[in-house]
Amino acid sequence: MAFELAFAVLLRLVLVLSPLRRLLKDDSQLSSPLTSYSRLREGIYLFREGINPYSGGTFRHSPLFLALFSTVIPDSEAFAAILWACVDVLGAWALVRIWRARGRVGTSKRDSLIAALYLLNPYIFLPSLSLSTSTFDTTLQLVSLMFAAQGQASASLLTLAFTAHLSLPSLLLLPPTVLLLLADPYSHLASPRPFNGKISKGLPLFAEFSAYFCSLVLASTVVSDGSGWIINSWGAGLLLPDLTPNPGLWWYFFTEMFDHFRPFFLMIFSVHLVIYVAPLCIKFQHDPLYAAFLLLGVLGIFKPYPTLSDPGLFLSLISLFPETYPHLRYPIVTTLLHLHAFLLLPLFHHLWIATGTGNANFFYASTLVFGIANGGALLDCVWAGLRVAMGEEREGYVIVQE
Amino acid sequence: MATLREKLKSALGSGDNSAKIRRRRAMTASLWRNLSVLRVALLVTGYVWMLALPSSQLGQGTYIDENALQPGQVNTYWSWADVRRADDYLKDLELLRDRNASSEERAAYFATEFAKLGIPPSTQKYALRSSTLASEGTNAYAVFSSPRASGAEAVVISASWLSHTDGFNLRGLATVLSLSAFLKQYSHWSKDIIFILSDGYLDGMHAWLSAYHGSSQSNMQVEPLELTSGVIWTALNIDYPGHSFSHLGVFREGLNGRLPNQDLINSFRLISHHTGGVPVLLYDHHDPSDFPGRQDILKIFPAWTPKRVTDNKDVMEYGYRAKNILRHVGYQARGRASGVHGLLHQFRIDAITLFAVPSNGPHGFHALGRTVESTLRTMNNLLERLHASFFFYIMATPGTFLKIGTYLPSAVLVAVALMFGGLGEWVNAGWVEVLDQDAGATDKQSAALIHAKRWVQRSRDVIPALGIVISTHVAGAALFSVVSSSWFMANQQTYTFPVILLASLLPLLTLLLPSSGDPTSQAPLPILLKSATLCLSSTLISVTSVLNFSLAALLAVALGVPVSLAAPAHSMITRLLRYLLYAALGLGWLALGQEMRQAVWHWEVLGVWFAPLVCVVYTPMMLQAGIVCLLSP
Repeated sequence: MAFELAFAVLLRLVLVLSPLRRLLKDDSQLSSPLTSYSRLREGIYLFREGINPYSGGTFRHSPLFLALFSTVIPDSEAFAAILWACVDVLGAWALVRIWRARGRVGTSKRDSLIAALYLLNPYIFLPSLSLSTSTFDTTLQLVSLMFAAQGQASASLLTLAFTAHLSLPSLLLLPPTVLLLLADPYSHLASPRPFNGKISKGLPLFAEFSAYFCSLVLASTVVSDGSGWIINSWGAGLLLPDLTPNPGLWWYFFTEMFDHFRPFFLMIFSVHLVIYVAPLCIKFQHDPLYAAFLLLGVLGIFKPYPTLSDPGLFLSLISLFPETYPHLRYPIVTTLLHLHAFLLLPLFHHLWIATGTGNANFFYASTLVFGIANGGALLDCVWAGLRVAMGEEREGYVIVQE
Repeated sequence: MATLREKLKSALGSGDNSAKIRRRRAMTASLWRNLSVLRVALLVTGYVWMLALPSSQLGQGTYIDENALQPGQVNTYWSWADVRRADDYLKDLELLRDRNASSEERAAYFATEFAKLGIPPSTQKYALRSSTLASEGTNAYAVFSSPRASGAEAVVISASWLSHTDGFNLRGLATVLSLSAFLKQYSHWSKDIIFILSDGYLDGMHAWLSAYHGSSQSNMQVEPLELTSGVIWTALNIDYPGHSFSHLGVFREGLNGRLPNQDLINSFRLISHHTGGVPVLLYDHHDPSDFPGRQDILKIFPAWTPKRVTDNKDVMEYGYRAKNILRHVGYQARGRASGVHGLLHQFRIDAITLFAVPSNGPHGFHALGRTVESTLRTMNNLLERLHASFFFYIMATPGTFLKIGTYLPSAVLVAVALMFGGLGEWVNAGWVEVLDQDAGATDKQSAALIHAKRWVQRSRDVIPALGIVISTHVAGAALFSVVSSSWFMANQQTYTFPVILLASLLPLLTLLLPSSGDPTSQAPLPILLKSATLCLSSTLISVTSVLNFSLAALLAVALGVPVSLAAPAHSMITRLLRYLLYAALGLGWLALGQEMRQAVWHWEVLGVWFAPLVCVVYTPMMLQAGIVCLLSP
């Protein structure tokens, strides 16, 4: 474990010092307008100069980042690179802890594999190299799940409040997290049963979360001297003011949209994210951790400003559920789709932006391939998670999906 | 309502699940049974399609897509006085050439002449070094600011000291000098005109462009430019090595397979026809139908082909188009620029080289000047960058081209065949047919017959296969760093053989791997490795096809059949022989000394991806296929 961690951190530091970082820094697949490091520094600069960073359209980070980076953390890129690597390691550690909590084991042989799958996952690795703040979102999400899996309600809810504050769609993870706190993190996929915790006990947890969340909002408002940050950071996810291309499915749709349809479809796209929460939590009430995992997959596909680290988080979490592997129907197809998408995304972006021979449709096509790859992975995981319960296939019987 | 629902249910067939399952199973079974036929059919279709690309049935006439261009709609004013001026410059240049004047002297001469004309000139020194050769020189350039516009945009007219044939491009340089004097007289330019007289062949222009666009590289020292202008939109490079010319040839391929917008070529062709009166060729390929009775100028059919065949009109047409396309593939697949213009493409500048095909006549400075003047006027009309016409095309003749939709499927079909192969091997790896031992012993004979064989699922451990894949690619990267190092290049002939030997011996280490165990419970390593190689090569071909079709087609030809055919054998001798064949295919290119030096120079100086791609991607894939043959089944 220690060796793998050391290796991954070392590799990261070597890469951080290489010219790769300069190439990746403003890559639109790795950092969105909401998570770009360049924009963060711009905001910090404006903040220090006494200008409200939220008065323009460039800075969309949370005021908490502003407070953190303008006081505690030195504003140096070299330091940031090391910090980001450490945050990633923290994420890997949290993932291993979740695995241990789920499997009711101490250290296990699988630990290093899980950590490696997280640290060496290019979807996690590259955004972190480009200093995208999505690394923080990912790690906080994992830490929140870790606390929930360990049954530490307050810590989990507080971390989740931070996560949701930094990236609003993570709010959707609240129901499965609460369910996870009320139940246990062990794998019940093979033996589904009705939820045995007391739902009524969830209410105080919701209240606790709301308290944390509200205090973060209050702190942010105090830090940024007004509530202008809300419309600029959270509002960006709902109103999509910045159509910088990203690997998600929103931007192209809204570049093509006539203005008078915009509010309607913005609402549809946002509400669409919400409709997955209840069905997944109900269907997987016996295993809320799996529900949370699937919801992260949904967010990775349909989030307003995704970076590669959102689907990356989902893919890395697959390592927690080895019991579903035998029931995955087309893992090789999904893998190959991801391989194609991973190559096509930068390629078509280059054809469009750098050489000028392609156009936006090229890049959009590659984001569609990426969307299909993520959707395929998600659907396969839903199937496998349900299929586990049915056990071995018997001669003469077939399991079908109705 | 209920009956309606029933009807709907039966119509959709959801009422009877077992029928649906049977149908699906039958479909899967027939797909699986016919998989090898399907693969062969896809491969053959892909290759036949490639062979059909020169056919006159494919392809369509070129046309001008951007309305603003208005090619050939202006009166030209280039006159015999300007030709005379060009002749004077030519005389000076010949003197310079004859006394072996240094780069500085030449550049100083150009700068003086520009200054005499009242166009601000400057010179730029540069030095380039690479593991194969070092070069240095001095470029001269002048910026003529457009009298009526802001200077935010510019066009380039350039000529290099050396021609792409082995001579000097003296007449090209004289044309540019004389043009600068001529163009300055007019006030209708909406874009700055930059005249570049670059030293050497590609190196001078590369240095100039790098300085202009602020890109730097460690093996190049360039002086910063004293004069700058706006964003360069289009460029014409003139290559005129002979005494006179009969045709103007268009060279279009840029670095890494980038092509200029087709509108530029089409406009130039129209203008050359109608304004200059000069017929246009692709490269220097004469159209055999223009030379009745002299079909041998095609030089593409081998000498033993019966004359009856080569004289056939359709065969001749096919041969002519095939020659054009093959020349294009030769440049594009290797990522080479077919002329100095090719360096500009990377900065999003649409550029072509006009090559005055050497001949005894009838054209000279007069026709060339008029053509360039009118082409410049057309480029001057642009209000935005060229964007309307095609960026992805293959020119079959000067007037016909293939759209992306007519050529892309050929490579993609091969990629699909490989992908099906890879997925088929993956299924093969996961299932094994075993004889049921105890089935016959129990009771009925019929039951024993049915159950005598059954499919058993086995585990697929992909880690060793992926390990081999990754280590071959790492070895490929190491090979590349070796062959592109200066010590290897200095003693290329001595080192080539040992390097090939070492590289082909390394994969033999896989023989030391422990055998994959019981084939009924564990998938054999060769099958998994073959699956991975097939899937990866398919991905490589389909992804490359959009970026650089010629390269994808080359890879489809080079990888398609060999990787599909890789299979383990039982006797050690056969295994070794097969492996050697693959190693020869994968590493044989190392013996092509001159070609390799060129490729390495292009990578180190111009950043052409071909050399690293071959070392890091192609060779390892061949070696993987070789390892598939080498491993015990």
